[in-house]
Amino acid sequence: MNDPIPIPALLTGLQLTDSAFPSGYYTLSHGLEGFQQARAVTPSSLPALLHDLLRHSVGPADATALALAHRAVTADDWDEVVAVEQRLHATKLGREARQAAVRTGRQLLDLADEVYGTAPIERYRGLYRDGAVRGCQPVVAAVVHAGNGLPVRQAVTCELFAFAASFVGAAMRLRLTDHRRAQVVLHGAAPVIEETVDAALDRELPDIGGCVPVADVMAGRHERAEARLFAS
Amino acid sequence: MHDPMQARHHHHDHDELMRRPKDGVLRVGVAGPVGSGKTALIEALVPLLIERGRTPAVITNDIFTTEDAAHVRRTLAGILEADRIVGVETGACPHTAVRDDPTMNQAAADELLERFPEVDTLLFESGGDNLTLTFSPALVDLFLFVLDTAEGDKMPRKRGPGITECELLVINKVDIAPYVRCDLAVMESDAHRVRDGRPVVLTNSLTGEGLGTIADFLLSHEAAQETASA
Repeated sequence: MNDPIPIPALLTGLQLTDSAFPSGYYTLSHGLEGFQQARAVTPSSLPALLHDLLRHSVGPADATALALAHRAVTADDWDEVVAVEQRLHATKLGREARQAAVRTGRQLLDLADEVYGTAPIERYRGLYRDGAVRGCQPVVAAVVHAGNGLPVRQAVTCELFAFAASFVGAAMRLRLTDHRRAQVVLHGAAPVIEETVDAALDRELPDIGGCVPVADVMAGRHERAEARLFAS
Repeated sequence: MHDPMQARHHHHDHDELMRRPKDGVLRVGVAGPVGSGKTALIEALVPLLIERGRTPAVITNDIFTTEDAAHVRRTLAGILEADRIVGVETGACPHTAVRDDPTMNQAAADELLERFPEVDTLLFESGGDNLTLTFSPALVDLFLFVLDTAEGDKMPRKRGPGITECELLVINKVDIAPYVRCDLAVMESDAHRVRDGRPVVLTNSLTGEGLGTIADFLLSHEAAQETASA
């Protein structure tokens, strides 16, 4: 039987996507708490918000950067890896999103070195020590997945699934869904994730960056909220 | 009163693999139910640590983020720079933030130490609110668990990993025990019993009673670990 994904690589993808993996994602609502505080999302509009964020925010920004960085690592083009990360960081308008990307990325880098210890991780750590990169999570994830031999398409799918799972988890804690509906919402996002993966794989370096003005406004308000449960 | 200094310093006998790599920074977790006095204890402890030559910083994990950090900042104004006290959002999962996935606490610690490399003592306050809370050994060197008399003298008997696993159990607010029908002698003896003789300290954070013992315990714990790893 023709199996395009080696089982060991698939297992690393599952491990990195599992909610038990210490990614720090459970502290992020990916903008949802800002919408909730503004009463701009309801249980019925929750799936649409997730789909919009996938298509217009995470897809063009993080997923695209991940795809480009993965290809660059595979091609041993580290200048391109640096360029991808610089552009991704520059296009993240909100402080919370930038900070979250760097905090989770640095910790992933540190942990992945201990868990997987691949040559690309070591190379990226060298760039980090030299100050050439910041440790943005999508780019670190690309380095880790590429080093583990997980193909780019599956790597992007894994990260978008992790985002969607984290989003519905936050929705549950914000009482915008329950544990059963959350799984319906998550499965309902599958076609959008597939569409978003395909679009991310088609983009080039200058295309990196989402366009979600309302979400940016909500994120700005969230930064100044008196009370928050989530870091984004 | 039982003397914590006479008790074993590291009852877990953690395998070497379970110990956080040494980097010269003492990391201390402060856990306990909501309202037991964790924040007041930290506010009283920081000046004592400074008196003992330490350079502390504080990371608070709160349900609604900056509330505790702001309180500590106000109380410690003039003693500890506001920038050395940071709040970590826990995504409504304070237990996860210090036990299962301390990623964001580690990130906050890394950033604090990058900005203030002279810091040698980090206090992590947890917003975890039940008796099962423990700290990841990857995040802290040891942790305190703070109970208070108003919760009732039954609390130690409920056990829970927080009470039985912590390096030092604190029974706080000893001054109000008579007013909340708490038999302090029962609470203390039960605490010793469920902890198999490991250290317990009685405190009143508002008068400072017992706080010096905690500060000395933390520093002697560190010294014991350094000796063990030498």
